[in-house]
This record gives sequence, structure tokens and C-alpha cells, in this order.
Amino acid sequence: MAYYEIVILGFVSLVFNVLLTLYVLIKISRIKELTKLVHNLNRSLEEMDEQAKLIVRTDIELNKAQTELDKKIAGLYTLQMLSRAITTTLEETKIFNMLEPKRLEEMGFEKALAFLWSEQEKKFVLSLNIGFEPATTQTILSRLDIDIFLRLIEEGKTISSFSIEEEALKESIDNIFGMKSYVIAPILPKHGNKGLLFVGTDSPDMVLTEGDEELITILANQLGQALENARLFEQTWRAQQELEEKVKQRTAELASALEQIKIISKRKSDFISAVSHELRTPLTSIKGFAAILLAEKLGALPPAVKERLEKINRHSDELVRMVNDLLDIARIESGKTVMKIEPQDLKSIIATVSDLIAVQCKNKNIELTQVVPQDLPLVLADKSQIERVFINLLGNAVKFTPQNGRITISARGKNGFVEVEVADTGIGIPEESLPSIFEEFYRVDNEINQQVKGSGLGLSLVKNIVEAHKGRISAKSKLNEGSTFSFTLPIAK
Amino acid sequence: MSLWVGVGTSTNKEPALAAAEALEKARSKIPQTKRINLVMVFATIGLSTLSFLKTLTQRMPQVPLVGCSTAAIISHLGIYLHGAIVILFSFQDITWNTAHINNIRLLTPLISGEELGNRLIYGYIGKHHRQLGILISDGLNEGCSMLLKGLQEKLGLSFPIVGAAASDNFNFLRTYLYYNNEIFSDGAMGILLGGNLRFGLGVRHGWKPLGRMHRVTAADGNTVKFIDGKPAVDVYRDYFAKDISELKKDLKIISLFYPLGIYLSGEKEYLLRNIRAIKDDGSLVCQGDIPEDSEVRLMIGTKESCLAATREAAEEAKTTLKSMSSPQEKEDLPLKLVLVFDSLSRYRLLGKDARLELEIIQETLGADIPLAGLYTFGEQMPLKAVNYFGRTHFHNQTISILSIKG
Repeated sequence: MAYYEIVILGFVSLVFNVLLTLYVLIKISRIKELTKLVHNLNRSLEEMDEQAKLIVRTDIELNKAQTELDKKIAGLYTLQMLSRAITTTLEETKIFNMLEPKRLEEMGFEKALAFLWSEQEKKFVLSLNIGFEPATTQTILSRLDIDIFLRLIEEGKTISSFSIEEEALKESIDNIFGMKSYVIAPILPKHGNKGLLFVGTDSPDMVLTEGDEELITILANQLGQALENARLFEQTWRAQQELEEKVKQRTAELASALEQIKIISKRKSDFISAVSHELRTPLTSIKGFAAILLAEKLGALPPAVKERLEKINRHSDELVRMVNDLLDIARIESGKTVMKIEPQDLKSIIATVSDLIAVQCKNKNIELTQVVPQDLPLVLADKSQIERVFINLLGNAVKFTPQNGRITISARGKNGFVEVEVADTGIGIPEESLPSIFEEFYRVDNEINQQVKGSGLGLSLVKNIVEAHKGRISAKSKLNEGSTFSFTLPIAK
Repeated sequence: MSLWVGVGTSTNKEPALAAAEALEKARSKIPQTKRINLVMVFATIGLSTLSFLKTLTQRMPQVPLVGCSTAAIISHLGIYLHGAIVILFSFQDITWNTAHINNIRLLTPLISGEELGNRLIYGYIGKHHRQLGILISDGLNEGCSMLLKGLQEKLGLSFPIVGAAASDNFNFLRTYLYYNNEIFSDGAMGILLGGNLRFGLGVRHGWKPLGRMHRVTAADGNTVKFIDGKPAVDVYRDYFAKDISELKKDLKIISLFYPLGIYLSGEKEYLLRNIRAIKDDGSLVCQGDIPEDSEVRLMIGTKESCLAATREAAEEAKTTLKSMSSPQEKEDLPLKLVLVFDSLSRYRLLGKDARLELEIIQETLGADIPLAGLYTFGEQMPLKAVNYFGRTHFHNQTISILSIKG
């Protein structure tokens, strides 16, 4: 081999070695880069995995919260629907029927029972059954531990399969109802029978929470309130029925009494009328004979006889007047008096009667005043009868008003009537006598009445005349200050 | 036309009356001259009684009847927690067969599936190729995946099977299956259909993966023993920072909102598995199988993602139905029925918004289309990605929609 060949070979070998070294170095560098990249990727993956863990942990909590929230919203919505339904009835027996199975399902429960404690029967009485077979319900009712459940009512506490701490109690309730998840809430109306609402489900999906307890408690409260309302309504209704019955009974009694009074009143009028007629005939004879004797047509009379005959004559006149008054009252009461009702000018009537009474007033120095407006409307009245009213009232006023007193006649239009007042400054009427003054034969016990004779029929006659005109009469008085008599007459249209 | 469908519902609480009412309504939708060939029934637990079934079979003698219990029925009118829905089929130019199997636990789910497949095939006599299988099974049987596997052994791995695992009223105590005159649990039934029939399928759940990928290092059927070499429960313990007893307490919410998702290459969504139980040794018992070496992730779902998935599933049912109709067909067959298998988990997640799923389906597929469905403990639906050859899998948390033309 030539030298130069060796040199060339050596050079090629050297170049190859250098290139190989370079290649290896580049490769090593590349591997290092890739290793670093893989390392970075792994780290990123690990970091992403850690982030994924955080996401999953947050997500599961969010899902749980969301589930609970969804359940609460659905429960509240259902509760609102149920509450609305429950409050639409005031019949106790219908309240529980408003709990529809569909609504209960929306709250996550497929079965429900409600039982109320009957104090009379000393046992729980079933008010609601959703989802239980009737035979199962009977078994449950027969198994109910009365002491435990009455205690629950007394404590007013809601319990559930998730919140019962007392192991024995949970076991007892589990055995009675045979359900996986349940809530028992007290139904507590203020009055009457109290009870319990049981709702339950066997669904493995149901995870009971405090929210469920709250919802069922609200539902039971609503039931309690509805029962309370129904019972109050029932009580009020019964009381009203009793009241109506009493009113009816009393009205019938009053109507009967009124009939009796009418009959008696008619009999009285008839009696007075008959008696008066019977009295008037002999009175006329007595008065006639007395007049003949007084005229001395049958011979002169000794003065003593004459004096007594005059007394007979005078008393006969009084008796005739009294009989006439009685007859008038009886006639008016029985409707036998024919009233000649026509528009009348009260001003003129008042003027006439004032003239009639003026002499008596003058004798006692009594001032007689009229306060009557010029435009006083006409009234519907029988003139002669109304004049009798005025004469009676003014006569009484003069009679009971002392010397130097005052009598005022006033009149004014008011609500379709004319109100007339006859006021005096007389001795007045005791308060206790006021309610009786219009009664027949009633005479106020005072000094004047003791001295002056009277029949006690005047005011009764006045009252009857005014009422026959569809008017009203009243009196007010103060002892030693005076009396005022008011009566009304309808305005002529 | 080759298919007439009548759907009737009742919310009567008396089983016999509910059956009569729903049946009468369904029958009124099909011309009286048409003979009824198949009755499908879904009813809530309270109605799942012999008197309910007897009323139906007495009024429809000699007509095969299939059905199951559910937590709630779905109809075009709404979702009902108490009620029954009856679907009547009258076929023309369609071949069909029904079969059922009892005592799955005793036979094992795999053998039961194979036996059901045999019975369906042997009774399927007609000129048409088999096109679609419908499987209804006991929702509390944890061997749903194996049952399906057995059925696929007989019908073919890529044969489209759709179906539902029956549910009860949230109690997870017992589900009921109805087959002709029988009412039973621990069983399954199937319907095999072929002929002048077009159908579309849509399936989605809407749950999204969260955190890093984990590998199942030991599993036995539906029991996951180890993940990343550690007891399977550690995944949940780690993510939620809770010990086993706390996790067991929150299992319902964890299973509902955070299932495990199996990564499926090429699929749009992960295949979900609900956690049904946590064993003391830290194993997780799922409703469907999770194969060893699967890549799994923790999943998270929201109402919004759930409803978005419903829309996607409805769109998919519409699109796949359209693609099945060949351009050479003389007439476009009308849509006759929308059958909805909706996971009960979705109902629990959506709550009052569950009706929005119904609105979305009706918006997408038509408000006037007869719609019937049930809430399930699991769904059977084929996967779409090429590498799964359209093979049906057992799902959790999905809304699975079958739309049928005919």
C-alpha cells in the first residue's frame, strides 16, 4: 500500500470518526431534548390530572348542591300548589283529599298517611292514605305505639329516617311503616284533634335532607292551619245556625204576642165603646132630669138642693167628656174613626188654637209665643183632630205652667215631615214618669194633678190621633224647668 | 308499503284497564283489515302484572308478544312514571321471528345468548335475509355483554343488534320481561327481522373524558380488578379524595355522573361502564364487560352535553336511515316508528329536563312520527368505526334510537 494511500485512509477514517462523533453528539443532544420534552409533557399531564381531580371534586359537590337545590325548588313549588289546594276548602273531611299523589311524588315521596288522635275514642283515626294497601294501613294503625306518637305530637317535633338519633325509636318506626326513607311531622291545629303526617319512599334515589324535613313540616303546618280554619268555620256556622233558629223562634213568639195584644186591644176598645155607649144614655137622662129640676119647672128648690143639683150637672158634664174621649180613643184604635185627611195650613190651625187658649194664658199671665216660618209647608191632616191635639197639649201646658210662665209653639219642616213643638216653662214631669205619660188613665203624681181633676185620657188620645196621621209623638222634660211635646205630621206633596 | 305500526299509551293505574286502553288506541292506528303480527309492550313496574299481560294476550290471541318493565315509558305525548305503551306491527313482505330464554344465571349468559341465537335462527323461515335483531334482557343481569356475545356467535359478529336492558322503578330490585303469556325475570328475548325494511340507528351519550388515560391491568368480565397495577377503586379514591366507605356511600351519584369510559380507536365517543358496586378488595363491578388491557378514563357528564348527544343521536338515526334507502327504489318509504332506548341514568341526570330529549328527537325526526320508548339499565347498539366492523356492544348512559321505514 502506498504511503499516500495510507494517509488518505487515515484522513478518511479521521473524518468519519469526527462525523460519527458529531452525529452521536447531535443525537445525544436530541435525546436530551426529547427527554426533556417528554418530562415536560408528563409533568403537564400530571398537572392536568391534578386539575382534573380538582374539577371532579368541585363538580361532585356542585352536583350534590344542584340536586338539593332542584329538589327544594320542586318541593317549594309543589308545596305552594298543595297549600293553595288545601286552603280552598273549609270542610275538614275534604282537606286531606287535596293532597294528590302526583304532588307528593313531585316532592319525592310515593306514600303518605295522616292520622289524628281522637280523645273520645282514645285511638288514632286515619285521615289520609296514599299508596298503602288498605290491609297494610290497618296493620300500621294497629301497631302504632300510642305513647311514642303522642309524645311526638306533644313535643311538636318533626323527625325523619335520617335525623332520628334514638336507635330504639328508629327501629320501632322502621318496623311499623316498613319504609326506607320517611319524614313524620306533627299536625297541630289550636283546637280539636291533633295528629301526625307520615310521608315515605322506598326509592333508592331518595337521599333525605334537612330540606325535606322543613318542607314536610311546612306542609303539616298548613294542614294544621287548614284544620283550624275548618273547625272555626264549623263553630261559627253552627253558632249562626243556632242564632237564626233562636231569632226565628223569638219572632214567632213576638208575632203570637202581638196577635194576642191586638185581640186584647180590640176587646178593650170594644168593651170601652160598649160601656161608654151604655153610660152615655143614663148620663143624658141624669143630666136632663137635673136640668129640669134646676130650671125649677117642677117647683122651687131649696138652696141646698139647688147647690147639689148644680154639682150633679157639672159632674155629669165631666163624665160625658170622659166618655166621649174614651169613645174617640176606642174608635181611633179600632180604625172606626174616618179621618178627613187633606192638605192643611198648620199656621192657620196654630193661630186658631192660640186664640182659643189666649184667655186662659192671660188669666195666668203666661206668655204665648209662636215660632212658625212663613213658608211652612202644608201637612196632610184632619183639621178638627189636629186642633184637638193642640188644644190638649196647650191645655196641659197652661195647666202645669205657673203664673208668669211662657208657652212656645214652634214648627219646622224636617225630612218629609213638619215637626211641631209645644214647650212650656211649667213644673215638668219626673223622668221615671215620662215613658208612661201617653198611657190611658195615667196621671203624673204631682201637686197640681192632686188638686185638679182629670181623666188621664188626653195624652193617650193625642198619641192615637198623631199616629193615625202616620206621625210620631214624644216628650222631654226637666223637673221645675218645663216640658216639651213634639209631634210630626207628613208634608203634603 | 310493507309495515304498519300503531302506538297506544295508557296511564291508568289498573293493569287490566291500562292494557285494554293502550291496546285499543294502538289498534285504531292500523287499518282493521290488516292482521297484527307482533305486539311490543313496555310498562312501568306497577302495571307489570299477570292481569296486564293476560288482557293483552286474550285480546290478541296467537300474536307473538314481547316486552319488558321500565322506570317510565316514553311516547310522543310525553314521559310517564306510571303507564304502559303498546306497539302493534303488521308486516307485509317482511319475515320475522321471536324467541326467548330463561334462567340465564344458571345457563351462564354466554350459553344463554347462543341458545337464544339458535332459537331465533331456527324459527326464522322466509325468503328474506336477516337484517336486524332486537334484544330485550333482564336489566339486573350483570352478564349483558356475554349474553350479547353469545347471540353474536350465532347471528354473526357484525350483524346489527339493537336492544335494551329492562329497568324497574329505581329500586334495582327486579325487572320483568313479557313473552307471550309469560312474565319472568333472569331471561332475555329477541326479535329477528328481514325483508322490505329500512332502519336507521343513532347512539350517543355525551359524557366527556377527564384526566389522564389509565390501563386496565386485570379484569374478569364485568369486574375490573386492577388499573395501572393498583386496585381499580384507587382511580376513584384518587380523583375524589374519598375512602372506600365514602365512595360506597356516594356510589349512586358517582356511577351516574362519573362512569368509566373505554377508549375505542376511531369512535367518536368512549364506551361507558357504570360502576354497580365496589368490592372490599377494591375491585369495581361494572354493568358491562371491560376487557383487560383496555385504556380507560374517568368520564364527566352535564345536562348540556347530554342533550347535545341526544341531538347527535337523532341526527345519526336520520342520516343512517337515509343512507339505507337505495337510489333505485321506486318510492321513498315513509318513516313508521321511532324506538327510543334511553338510559335511566340520563333520566336521573336530566330530571325535569328529560322531556327536552323527547322534544329534540321530535324536532329532528318529525313531531308526527309514532314514537315509543323506555328507560333502560343498559343499551345494545353497533359501533360505527371501521375497525369494529359494525359490531354491536353493550352500552351504558346512552340514548339509542332506532328509526324504521317500511
